[in-house]
Amino acid sequence: MQNGKVIRTRPSFGALIVLPLLLSLVAPVANAGIAQDEPMGYAPEDIWSDDYNNMIFPWAPANDPILQFKEYHTYETMKQRMQRLAEENSDIFEFHEGMNGGTNARGEATTQDSYEGWYYDHASPWLKITHEVYNGDYNPFVGDNGNYEDRPDVMIVGNHHAREWMSYQTPIMVMEVIAFSYDNIGYDNDGDGEVDEDPWGDANGDGILDDDGDCLGLDPSFQDSNGDGTPCGAGDLGVDEDYSEQWITDLVNSREIYLIPMLNVDGNIYDREVFCPAPAWETCPSGGWRKNLRDNTYTGVTPIPDLQERVDEDCDGVDLNRNYQFEWGAPLGATGPLIPGTCTPAEGELDGSNNDVYNGPVDDKDNDGDGQINEDHVDGKDDDADGLTDEDWWGGNSEPETKFIQDITEMNDDDGNGASEFKSTLTFHSYSELVLYPWGHCTGCQSPDHDQLIYHGDEMAEMTQYTNMQSSDLYPTSGDFCDWHYGLHGSYCYTMEIGTAFHQHEDDIDHIAVRNLGVAFYMAEIADNPRERADLAIANISQQNYLSDSKNVVIPAEGDIPIDLCVSNQFPYSEANTMIQWRTVKPSRLQSDYGPREWATTAWESVPVMVMDDETCTVSDGNGTILRGMVPISETATGKLHYKAAVSTLGGSDFIQYPANGEYYELDLSYRAAYGSVFGSFLMFGITAAFVWGGLAICLRMMLTDDEEALDLADALLEAEAKA
Amino acid sequence: MSDEEESDQFNGRMGLIFASIGAAIGTGNIWRFPRMVGANGGGTFLVPWLIFLFAWSIPLVIAEYAMGKRSRTGTIGTFRIFAGKKFAWMGLWTAWISTAIGFYYAVVAGWTIKYFQLGISGALTGEGVDTTEVWNAFLQSPGQVIFFQFLVICLTLAAIWKGAKAIEKVNFYLMISLFALLFLTLFLSLWMDMEDGSLDGAMFMFTVDFEMLKDPEIWINGLSQSAWSCSAGMGMCITYAVYMSKDEDTVLNAFTMGLANNSISIIAGLAVLSAIFAVSPDPLATVTGGSSAITFLALPEVFAKAPFAPIGPLFMMAGFFLALSFAAMTSMISTVELCVRNFVDHGYNRGKSVALTGLALFLFGIPSAVMWVKLDAEGVAFPEFLEVQDHIWGYGLMFSGLFIAFSIWKYGYYRWKSGVEAGVAPAGFRGYLGFGVSAFRDDFINTGDNDIEVGRWWDLLMYLAFPILFSVLMISYFADMIANTPDVWDPTNPKGLSIILLFWGVIAALFISFNKFIVQRPLYRNIPQGADVDISTLPGGSDDLVVARGEHAPGFEHLTVGKGA
Repeated sequence: MQNGKVIRTRPSFGALIVLPLLLSLVAPVANAGIAQDEPMGYAPEDIWSDDYNNMIFPWAPANDPILQFKEYHTYETMKQRMQRLAEENSDIFEFHEGMNGGTNARGEATTQDSYEGWYYDHASPWLKITHEVYNGDYNPFVGDNGNYEDRPDVMIVGNHHAREWMSYQTPIMVMEVIAFSYDNIGYDNDGDGEVDEDPWGDANGDGILDDDGDCLGLDPSFQDSNGDGTPCGAGDLGVDEDYSEQWITDLVNSREIYLIPMLNVDGNIYDREVFCPAPAWETCPSGGWRKNLRDNTYTGVTPIPDLQERVDEDCDGVDLNRNYQFEWGAPLGATGPLIPGTCTPAEGELDGSNNDVYNGPVDDKDNDGDGQINEDHVDGKDDDADGLTDEDWWGGNSEPETKFIQDITEMNDDDGNGASEFKSTLTFHSYSELVLYPWGHCTGCQSPDHDQLIYHGDEMAEMTQYTNMQSSDLYPTSGDFCDWHYGLHGSYCYTMEIGTAFHQHEDDIDHIAVRNLGVAFYMAEIADNPRERADLAIANISQQNYLSDSKNVVIPAEGDIPIDLCVSNQFPYSEANTMIQWRTVKPSRLQSDYGPREWATTAWESVPVMVMDDETCTVSDGNGTILRGMVPISETATGKLHYKAAVSTLGGSDFIQYPANGEYYELDLSYRAAYGSVFGSFLMFGITAAFVWGGLAICLRMMLTDDEEALDLADALLEAEAKA
Repeated sequence: MSDEEESDQFNGRMGLIFASIGAAIGTGNIWRFPRMVGANGGGTFLVPWLIFLFAWSIPLVIAEYAMGKRSRTGTIGTFRIFAGKKFAWMGLWTAWISTAIGFYYAVVAGWTIKYFQLGISGALTGEGVDTTEVWNAFLQSPGQVIFFQFLVICLTLAAIWKGAKAIEKVNFYLMISLFALLFLTLFLSLWMDMEDGSLDGAMFMFTVDFEMLKDPEIWINGLSQSAWSCSAGMGMCITYAVYMSKDEDTVLNAFTMGLANNSISIIAGLAVLSAIFAVSPDPLATVTGGSSAITFLALPEVFAKAPFAPIGPLFMMAGFFLALSFAAMTSMISTVELCVRNFVDHGYNRGKSVALTGLALFLFGIPSAVMWVKLDAEGVAFPEFLEVQDHIWGYGLMFSGLFIAFSIWKYGYYRWKSGVEAGVAPAGFRGYLGFGVSAFRDDFINTGDNDIEVGRWWDLLMYLAFPILFSVLMISYFADMIANTPDVWDPTNPKGLSIILLFWGVIAALFISFNKFIVQRPLYRNIPQGADVDISTLPGGSDDLVVARGEHAPGFEHLTVGKGA
């Protein structure tokens, strides 16, 4: 190209170099926005990711309004999503519809059909959620795998009442969060660069929900993103937004979760498709279809048969949450069985008010076959003093939906002791922003676990900023889910009355669901022994226990590192089942030569603890007991040690973590071994020197002796310069 | 001496050696090696590092010298001749990766000169100097960073403008000074370390923990240090071999270069570790704290405590950073030369090529110099754009090595096939093992010019060890990255895997599609007096367009290409 003319050479080499070069510059520039590091500012976009600010959830594309909780699921979309997630997460999710049936705990023969809705014939879809759900024991009646004796069970039920749409959307979000968070440790939910910095509730006990203070740092005009009037309250952006995926994973690994988002499929379909034309929040602002679709005119209780076999809106249906057997029939907040419905047309709009709390037909069968009828109704007592309890009821659990709950509860007995596995149960309803605990069937009464129920209710009321009260203090009801679960099976049961409307406007779906997420996980956590947990907390015992933080761990000059857990002497720890869990963080092998220090994290491992008999530690009440775990860390290790404790009690609480909820302490590790031995280093130095310097000397020698040419470079250079 | 009269070549053997050593010794020896030793158990690390010098680096360098010496062209021409016309793009890849690294490497070289300036002016030794503050202030002033980058490029261009003879001279003086400066630093370091009664830095660096040798990570790290620091398989030695005189001993040169490279690493490692062990309360935490952090934050603090204050610290600081900048400069020279050589091979004027390369280095280096300069969690500034560039192109280098091995494998097969047809080679797999596998070694390495006869071990290393080690490097790297990078598949994550694969894919696809244009160009070989050897037996050797400098290629008679230039 000396004369500057180039022909037939396209593209030129200049272009070859420049093209990829431009490419290499353009792409990183396009990413410039992501990589920017901004200081904390006053607008949401200064702190969080755009997705988070717009409540775009990471488990689905932004343009999918249903999966983004911008529109309601229908029965069909919900079921599809459950099936899809069960396929994608087959290690933790197992999809079911209804149950197989068989002979239930009361000796009745049932089939799959027994649990299908009267009208549309769908059984309620549900998920069994636990780690290795395909493993464990198989329950032929329920049809589920993943039954483990040592995993506490929790039941979460939505949509007893068809029109209470948020009550199934919230369990669906729980499902999405589990699917997304499981084994996705350290996900940065809000995109602020920190992880797990703001768990559900007031984690640090300062009375403020926004533990990391990011919402409170916003300009006040941004602080009430859900518009409920409370700045930085539950459900607002930046409040409890970055929970621990580790904790959720731990829960799934150690619990069996029965998630039944939509119990009343019949009623829900009818409410959506027939009763309240879309948009439902406009056609049925204060009403909607509530009950299931039992055909009251056909079943013979009223004299006029319903020849058309269609839903008689003025008459049909049973209120599922009045149909449970415990103390069934006391007509409190329910329409009693003797007055199955006046069947008079409602006036005006579709408010569905007529006969809305009908609790189902009387059961005049002789359930125990002793010739008497209804002589011992279900209340946990032996009313007729015949040695059998609750053996001949006069009604209740008459509906496929409630029978489903009854049988899945009573037939789920992993340890074969005859008692139901569910120590905690939760049901979502709308609306009123309340947390309700039993009793519902009596006023001015207290359950035996009154204080303990209040304790857990308060915890959940704190994280939702709802009001905790006894169910009957709102209004007395008989035959509801929680009275039955608690009264009959001793399960700590809560009714969450969420949101502010039956058909909540679709703009409110996302933030109301988010606000109530933590409740589901809280109930899963306490499912091991809710009574003991409450007792220990009320007596201020479990709060006194602590794990030594990094300042109080003494790293010995050699050997394993002792990590001490100090427990109150009143605390019923189980030495055998308490563990210190640990992992290390080492400088990453990928360490960039020009960037910041990078780290690689190992998997969690655990070591058992031993009780230190001759040492004591101090808790706020006085002396405590030291449980010590010896963490095996090599003396040559550097980097960081992460550790936490998972404590079990003699009472069976198996999941008390220190520090709380998936967090851990971090300890700097320094090199503890000797730097080397004089002899060994001399030897290695000798070998290295012989190889490298000796080899180099031989090479140079060969070069210098062998070559006749001007090998003295200095000479050569001088010569060259002289020439030039 | 006029460019037009003679072909370009080094004056003597030492010129080649010094230039090659200059290419091999870079910042990797001085700031990466001590960190790797510290993070991988001290003397334990030396075991795999030494083994892989002989199992990976030296065999590849032998191959590079042999190829360049025969082809007498830069990387593009070498692959065109050795691997065949369809594979000239491999040379383009090799050249591109080296140049792309050069874009940001000039910036890094600029940092070292800046620190020399800071050191000599005493700005790092005074009372109450906060090295983090100095570093952040420098990195966050774009004007400064660009100025020093510009300075590096100007110095580099000045050094190579005149071709091989100038390169030879510059490398000679820089390398001799580098040795001297490092020895000065080492002396002061050992003095410091002795003050507390024991040479614990040196002891650590040379004590082998046999238990740790069972850890595969130590071996992978040893391999990667050996693969990167020696420049083996990166095309540098192909380029410098173009200027070899005809009876140069490639094998001896390769050993000399590899051993010299490791010698410098040991001296630098000993100097750095001794100094840190002498001063730092937790030396290993300091050493493992990220590479640029050790060099620019920890070492100035350590050197400030050198004996014979105030002269000692000043000497140590200035000496170390001057040595470091020399190491960076000589690597920079080889990077530019590799690119320029390819232009000159295809008939472009040397001066213009040098100018164009320099301009490109400067312009495309600017983003690395100034973009995305951020603070890490510990408040230390780092240039993220530069890091991302390193992330994308650093591992692309491995493919250059793979392409060289590929050429060797291909040549062996090609020779055996044609040998069987001509009836001189036995057929069948045994025949291939006997004739084909050793073909490259027989034809290009054991040419009679070498004192060290290369035996069957070289074939075994190239045919068996190389593919295994290459796979181990790539798999461990990607597995680590997938395991440790959040959103690793997100294409908008500049540190993710998708972006690397995307860039590699686009570049490779682009180069492969350009291949046919490249081979339509004539290729001018730089053949020194009397060094013409027949290349027609090579896959791409019998090509009318491949001519010696000074000859005319058919159809391109209008191009007058001097023998020199």
